[in-house]
Amino acid sequence: MSTVLTKSDYGRATDEIYGLIAWIALGIFLIVVGLLVYALVRYRERGPGELPRQIRGHSLLEIGWTIAPALVLLVIAIPTIQTVFRTQPTVEPEGALEVTVRGHQWWWEFSYPALGIVTANELHLPLGRAAALRLEGPDVIHSFWVPQLGGKRDVIPGRLNRLTFTPEAPGEYLGQCAEFCGVSHANMRLRVIVDGAEAWQAWVRLQQAPPAADAAATEGAAVFAKSACVGCHTVRGVAAGVVGPDLTHFGSRQTLAAGLLPNTPANVLAWIQDPPAVKPGVKMPALGLSPAEARAVAGYLASLK
Amino acid sequence: MTVAALTERVAARSAGPGAPPAAGIRSWLTTVDHKRIGILYGVAAFAFFLLGGLEALLLRLQLAQPNGHVLGAQTFNALFTMHGTTMIFLAVMPASNAFFNYLIPLLLGARDVAFPRLNALSFWIFLFGGLFLNAAWLVGAPPDAGWFGYANLTSTQFSPGLGVDFWMLGLQVLGVSSMLAGVNFIVTILNLRAPGMTLMRMPVFVWMALVVQFLSILAFPTITVAMIMLMFDRFFGTRFYDVAAGGDLHMWQHLFWIFGHPEVYILILPAMGIVSEVVPVFARKPLFGAPVVIYSGALIGFFGFGVWSHHMFAAGMGPVADAAFAVSSMLIAIPTGVKIFNWLATLWGGALRLTAAMHYALGFIALFTIGGLSGIMHASPPVDLQQTDSYFVVAHFHYVLIGGSLSGLLAGLYYWWPKITGRRLDERLGKLQFWLFFVGFNLTFFPQHYLGAIGMPRRIYTYAAEPGWAFWNLVSTVGAFVLALSFLLLLVVAVASLRAAATAGNDPWDGRTLEWRTSSPPPVENFAALPPVYGRDTFWREKHGDRHGRRPTPAPAPPPGPSHLPSPSRLPILVAVGLVVAAAGALVSAWIVVAGLGFAVLALFRFALEHHANLAHAHQDGVTGVDHRKLGMWAFLGSECMFFGTLIAVYLAYKGRSVVGPRPHEILNIPVTTVSTFDLLMSSLVMVLALAAVRRGDARQTRRWLTWTALLGLIFLGFQAFEFTSFVREGLTLQRNLFGSTFFVLTGFHGGHVTLGVVWLLTLAILSLRGRLAATDAVKVEVAGLYWHFVDIVWIAIFTLIYLIP
Repeated sequence: MSTVLTKSDYGRATDEIYGLIAWIALGIFLIVVGLLVYALVRYRERGPGELPRQIRGHSLLEIGWTIAPALVLLVIAIPTIQTVFRTQPTVEPEGALEVTVRGHQWWWEFSYPALGIVTANELHLPLGRAAALRLEGPDVIHSFWVPQLGGKRDVIPGRLNRLTFTPEAPGEYLGQCAEFCGVSHANMRLRVIVDGAEAWQAWVRLQQAPPAADAAATEGAAVFAKSACVGCHTVRGVAAGVVGPDLTHFGSRQTLAAGLLPNTPANVLAWIQDPPAVKPGVKMPALGLSPAEARAVAGYLASLK
Repeated sequence: MTVAALTERVAARSAGPGAPPAAGIRSWLTTVDHKRIGILYGVAAFAFFLLGGLEALLLRLQLAQPNGHVLGAQTFNALFTMHGTTMIFLAVMPASNAFFNYLIPLLLGARDVAFPRLNALSFWIFLFGGLFLNAAWLVGAPPDAGWFGYANLTSTQFSPGLGVDFWMLGLQVLGVSSMLAGVNFIVTILNLRAPGMTLMRMPVFVWMALVVQFLSILAFPTITVAMIMLMFDRFFGTRFYDVAAGGDLHMWQHLFWIFGHPEVYILILPAMGIVSEVVPVFARKPLFGAPVVIYSGALIGFFGFGVWSHHMFAAGMGPVADAAFAVSSMLIAIPTGVKIFNWLATLWGGALRLTAAMHYALGFIALFTIGGLSGIMHASPPVDLQQTDSYFVVAHFHYVLIGGSLSGLLAGLYYWWPKITGRRLDERLGKLQFWLFFVGFNLTFFPQHYLGAIGMPRRIYTYAAEPGWAFWNLVSTVGAFVLALSFLLLLVVAVASLRAAATAGNDPWDGRTLEWRTSSPPPVENFAALPPVYGRDTFWREKHGDRHGRRPTPAPAPPPGPSHLPSPSRLPILVAVGLVVAAAGALVSAWIVVAGLGFAVLALFRFALEHHANLAHAHQDGVTGVDHRKLGMWAFLGSECMFFGTLIAVYLAYKGRSVVGPRPHEILNIPVTTVSTFDLLMSSLVMVLALAAVRRGDARQTRRWLTWTALLGLIFLGFQAFEFTSFVREGLTLQRNLFGSTFFVLTGFHGGHVTLGVVWLLTLAILSLRGRLAATDAVKVEVAGLYWHFVDIVWIAIFTLIYLIP
């Protein structure tokens, strides 16, 4: 989750100014500490003697070491202001992919309005195309942060914030909520998967398709349909709850519980049976399913590729 | 009990000059001696510091490994909230206050502060406020929304328990303590300087203290308003931070950080002041560029009010605001850097004595430089957007707060310990203690820069193994325990010193300033005779002459006169008890609030009248030629400008954002309010007449005009009561919409101020009736007049901005 080995245009713009300031800071540090150590060695009192020269000040020096830092700061300020405006465009780039990011306690909802896709916690983006994220939220302040793709931006209820960047290398990038948002703030993780052209098309097609119907999972589907699950979750054509993440293609995700656990049958089972034990404070209660029912539902969810 | 009898009893209890200091717990509970109050602050601050440190160790234990199981999520969140709140408000600030209290009168050549009982009151409010805040642990409801509690996480919807209430009320109480201290020290520094001590001849530490006091009285009102709004949302259902009703969550952040940024300068300037004293003494040279260091400190304080939104770069204020605050934040680095160069130049060509105090002062320079440089990185929004809310910023602020503030305070401890206790701290052990601190501190916090750079967010109770954060978290935890060990060693060094004999002598370091000119510890009256002032570093000049070796001519003997020492009083602790009982009552029952406030008000009355007939208190003129009480009122009114200014700004910012009606133009009755405004203006006129009457000793007229002023005030309040009730009947309540919330809180608090004024004026009228308001008491009427006129001016602003302008 490096903030300096970035893989987007936003990241590169930040890296330039980051590097500039870091090197300047190092230089100033070496000068100050160098002078300090030199003075300590050179001017150590070597026994009681005459008082040293009682110099009170020197106007030219004062002016000098006021102007010098001001010039250094000018060198930092100009590219800073340029980068601020460059990374916050007033008009979205041509052909940008619009993604709506909604931060909930404690999971991420991603929807692609133009594509009719709604998913959670794993954000797929096409390589080389601008992603225009619109950040909003229904509960408290969160912050969307995927370090390798750029700086963070807060999700603030009542306001619309934007974050725009173009991913420049395929791969998986870890992210995490970066504004304290309650008990399970530490557990509000996400990942961004940047797909090459083919993989992207495949993913979009998969997500737009109706949920997979797996014969082996009909029992689980039935349990799902008649339990409280449908009150909170959406599986297109089956359930239309909007409190929790959309599960239509849950089986194709790598993690569950907002990046907390790998998406394995055992983990899904543990989650269904006792969510608060996995994620303190989570709004999903233990549903009181029998072990057999829980296993069936887990199997059903895994089948929703 | 008559005022006269009270005064006699009080006078009988006070110690005359040269008397040994009183012993026993009771003497400590009723002390108004600035030196004792300083020690009380210091001991309390250290105790809270250990508590905050324990909280930190628990946090680090949990974070030592991925998926740690030492603490649960909720406990962890409470611990980091309380760690931050404790260290800032209960440890560093009170430790600074300890030094202000003990040293400032000595450095100024004064016998005590301007308002000794107010001084004690500040301490007791702080102590009880801190205990109240930590009582949250005992009832299982510690605050857990972070030390800067962002709305709307702090709403009753998302934080339903008592935790946030404890935090909110505790900080309000602590704010009162800081504001009172601010007024007290401003008047002290301006008015109680020894003859010959012009402002530019004051020690730099006193200058930094003066800037800190101005920051306190001007910054705290803003957080007070933010907290009042939160309190009203939580207790009374107002809409200030209610998004659905049109509330803006940026509002909390702006208000908090308009306080919060000056707050960090409140935390660092005292340490910078201490370093500016310690380095010259142990370099045996004057502070290089002392006037420039002073101006830099003042500039930092001033510009500190213009940078607050650099805490909000991720919040989406837009590129123009981001750029503006980036530039202002970078500008502040200039006066800061200038100070560092001046300290280095002080060392240059000196004769350096590397005592333990000097170790800490030099450590400050190095470590604060690191913290300041990471601060410059944060000033650039693109870089900050990677670093903020990560362990990088945690590293930054610990470098400036521990490497900076705490190092400075520890330098002060080692430096002034002989003066306060009469004993030296072991130099060898002290240096060892420093190195343990230095190593432990850097081991704990330097790796956190790296952890932030590789993406670790802050305020997370646990983390996965996948991102690779485990190793440096473990190193950081080990460092924390080394740091803790260094403080245990400090305790050992301190206790060992106290057991030894008091042999430090008056001036163990060949000091430059006036505190070294008296005994260690100083007598109750500080100086047998007020010291002469020959210039900056006056004591050095007296001993060694100026830079040409010329000795100053001896000062003329000070005019003989009784030295009046402040008498002990139990009223400060009683007022504090009432206030904190009221705060605690807000969590339990309105009756307890009433009881607490009632008790506090009664105690305040006795407080105000305790020395009313004491002739020694009749004239309290100072160096500025302005009576202490008048100067204090001006300082207080400065804070009131910020208070009402903030409330008005919130009203205007929220104007037009109400989702439902009634709206202002539908309900405000301008003709009627014009009459009540006129009434209030007339009351100011009549107040002027009251002051003229008391000055010429005309008791009857004084009484008449004072009563008329109060009556006109009551009429205004009557109009307001009529207005409030008719609004409620027409459907506008506190909870109805943003307009209701902002309007009632703003005008309600103004009405509260009018009510207090009426009570004050009637009290003065009654005093006059009893023959106790003579021409010599005119300043008391004048001070009440200043307050009253100010409240009127605020109303004119409210009337214009809220009623007249559509």
